[in-house]
Amino acid sequence: MRNIKEIFTNIRVIILIIFLVLMVFAIYPNPFNKGVVIKSVIPNSAASLAGIENSKVTAPMSLEKILMINNIPVTSIEDYYKLTSNALVNQSIFIKTNKKNYQLLVKPKIKEIVLNETEQKIVEEFILVNETINNTVVQSNKSINKTIDVPKIVKEIIGVEEVGLRVDNAPLTNLRKGLDLQGGTRVLLKPVQEINDSSYSDIVDNIKERLNVYGLADITVKEVSTSTLLGEKAEKLIMLEIAGATEEEVKDLIGKQGKFEANIGNQTVFIGGRNDITSVCTTATCSGIDPDRPCSRGEEGFVCGFRFAITLSPSAAQRQADITDKLDLVTSGSQKYLSQELTLYLDDTEVDSLKISSDLKGKAVTDIAVSGSGTGNSQKDAIDQTLKNMKKLQTVMKTGSFPVKLEIAKIDNISPTLGKEFINNSLFIGLIAALVVVLTLVIFYRNIKIAIPIMINTLSETLIILGIASIIGWNLDLASIAGIIASIGTGVDDLIVITDEMLKKQTEVFINWKERIKRAFFIVLSAFFATAVAMIPLWSFGGGMLKGFAVTTLLGITAGVLITRPAFAHIMQKIIEE
Amino acid sequence: MVIFLKAVLLNIYDKKYKQLMIFSILLLLLSLGVLSYNYFTKGELVERGVSLKGGVELTISIDQDLSIDSVKQHLNNDFKDSDISLRTITEQGKIREIIIEAADLEEKQLIDSLKNHGLKIERNQYSFQKTSSATGERFFKQTIIALIFAFLAIGIVVFITFRDLVPSLFVVLTAFSDMVSTLAVISLLDVKLSLGGVAAFLMMIGYSVDTDILLTTRVLKRKEGTIFERTVNSLKTGLTMSLTSFFGVLAAYFLTTSDAIKQIMLILSIGFLFDIIYTWIQNTGILRWYLEIKEKRRTQQTK
Repeated sequence: MRNIKEIFTNIRVIILIIFLVLMVFAIYPNPFNKGVVIKSVIPNSAASLAGIENSKVTAPMSLEKILMINNIPVTSIEDYYKLTSNALVNQSIFIKTNKKNYQLLVKPKIKEIVLNETEQKIVEEFILVNETINNTVVQSNKSINKTIDVPKIVKEIIGVEEVGLRVDNAPLTNLRKGLDLQGGTRVLLKPVQEINDSSYSDIVDNIKERLNVYGLADITVKEVSTSTLLGEKAEKLIMLEIAGATEEEVKDLIGKQGKFEANIGNQTVFIGGRNDITSVCTTATCSGIDPDRPCSRGEEGFVCGFRFAITLSPSAAQRQADITDKLDLVTSGSQKYLSQELTLYLDDTEVDSLKISSDLKGKAVTDIAVSGSGTGNSQKDAIDQTLKNMKKLQTVMKTGSFPVKLEIAKIDNISPTLGKEFINNSLFIGLIAALVVVLTLVIFYRNIKIAIPIMINTLSETLIILGIASIIGWNLDLASIAGIIASIGTGVDDLIVITDEMLKKQTEVFINWKERIKRAFFIVLSAFFATAVAMIPLWSFGGGMLKGFAVTTLLGITAGVLITRPAFAHIMQKIIEE
Repeated sequence: MVIFLKAVLLNIYDKKYKQLMIFSILLLLLSLGVLSYNYFTKGELVERGVSLKGGVELTISIDQDLSIDSVKQHLNNDFKDSDISLRTITEQGKIREIIIEAADLEEKQLIDSLKNHGLKIERNQYSFQKTSSATGERFFKQTIIALIFAFLAIGIVVFITFRDLVPSLFVVLTAFSDMVSTLAVISLLDVKLSLGGVAAFLMMIGYSVDTDILLTTRVLKRKEGTIFERTVNSLKTGLTMSLTSFFGVLAAYFLTTSDAIKQIMLILSIGFLFDIIYTWIQNTGILRWYLEIKEKRRTQQTK
């Protein structure tokens, strides 16, 4: 009894207990947490318009949780989809979360159908009268009413647009599951030529922006640079992890450099990115299928045109004026054009080339329409492809290009099923391995009592590793879990050293407890430093794939020597004294 | 009987420690022999998996009965020019996952071919990792640098701890021997070394040094008893450490369904067994020898 009191009044044990309590708060486990949390919001969706925002906090347990939809409680993802999928256009959906109440207005999903007949239409456009021929792109600032023959386009509501929330089952803890545990795609990108630090961070920003345009959830973009260990040339890589995305989606997004250029002759007028293009229209009013170049049957399937409006910066507009000023006029039919065309290139491939109206010679026009096309086997395919091409072009015009081309150095795709199996299996083997260790030790020492402090120590170290991982926002992946197992293994080794020093017969030489603990910790600390330095190369090795191993191992052994093992020594001392 | 046997063994351990070392030296030479054989016949010390060489590795979870040989044959028929390797993870005698490695194929080609063979493969049912060969080679080069770095760094830490160069070199030699022999064994077991395996080797070096530090501290820094008594003392502690870790790791090896974890556990468990030999025969032997020579010199000098 006295011993138990002494255990709990010891400063080392008190520190351990304080730490354990803090870690439980950091992990914040709630095995009964039910419901649905908002992981991200798609831009311009009904949810986004209703004021639901992407969460700024990153701790999983602090994500905004949906409590009720239309006053019906939501307890699972199935509930969520059941309650949101049957909504009608323009119907209101009331969402009550743990933070706020929102009223969403369901948006219709519109499809444009281009009919084979034409109709006469009076349009008011920023277009000049003499520009009624196809392929006309350049618009002056003059507004004019004109009558044109356009193919009839019927806008049809083909359904309901989804409300635009990416949701997930409510998490049970603050632990972040890495890709290996939940499935998704991980890509390691390598710039094809050497780049400096600023263009490196430009690339990282650019990727983040591109992914945002596509509204993908759960992305981490990490900069990985290898150090110059022992003469190895340092290299900079970018690791991208996207939960739930497929390889094709990722490749489409980042496989291309996205270098956009608009040239007249061999002179560049403007390029993609904010410096030259101040805004890109993506709404239906000023972007979409080009009414002047509707879908038509070509030699191989259908061809459709798209166009959208952009605004140039004054300096880019001036550049255009300077270049066009020097061009000659040519007459084609009844129209007058400039002698050279404006050609658009994406990644050095021509997207489209446009005739420039004579009125624009030497004029600094900032509002410009950009066009291009897409093809497909059927009219529907052609429209889909055209709109996809348009979105790609809009994205690179907004975000600009990567300073250099990126090469996919490594791509991993983990299936969510296998990820889930891995979690269960890790928990299972962790438990069994711990039992085997404790059992072996009980047999070796022929003393059942020592099982208790060893169990306490092992559990405490696991809890501290997981707690700190939650606090620093570390994603637990396969390497991290291997690291946890490894650090607990060295932990057990240290416990054996400590126990043996203490169990030495008092008769050998009289050494007091303090001296024994000091001796044990000499070995423990030396072993700690040896393991710690062995982990250093993993920090930057293998494109950062093993960083998790180094992180959890270092967390574990550091927590071990500073917190748990001193407390263990004290508890063990009291048990042996008894 | 047990006590008698123990006494005999301890006597051999005490009196014939130099002869015992022949055993560990032979083991080390044999391991080096295996590795050189690998190097001269296959061009590398140990076979490398896709993460260190480049290529694609496809893991498919299976919930139907199938014959692995027919799958293998089918794939070899479909891709005659490719070097395809296939392994399985079984649970209770049933195939649970198949893992296919190929250097020059795309995962899609493999999946299409398997589907033609009648395998049901859903989108969510497979994982793959693909590494370009340049990246694989670079990772492999980094592996070697990482290992050299680890040895140097551990050597420095041990030297700072003991302030005595020769025993520190013994510690590094033990860790090196552990690594060489483990590498030889996994090459004989046809394991393809992956990134996870490299982490396991670094971890193993760390563990190996633990027992050597224990031995060197007790023998070099303690004064109570004879050198041999202190050795036996640390032997008990060290064996408890190695065997406990060995059983824990072995349990994990048999129970895990993750290919990466399995390799890590395999390397660690083999490493623990070699560490027992190299620490308690080789390192103990040369350390004692060294101390005896040192002692002899000192007595000669005082004379």
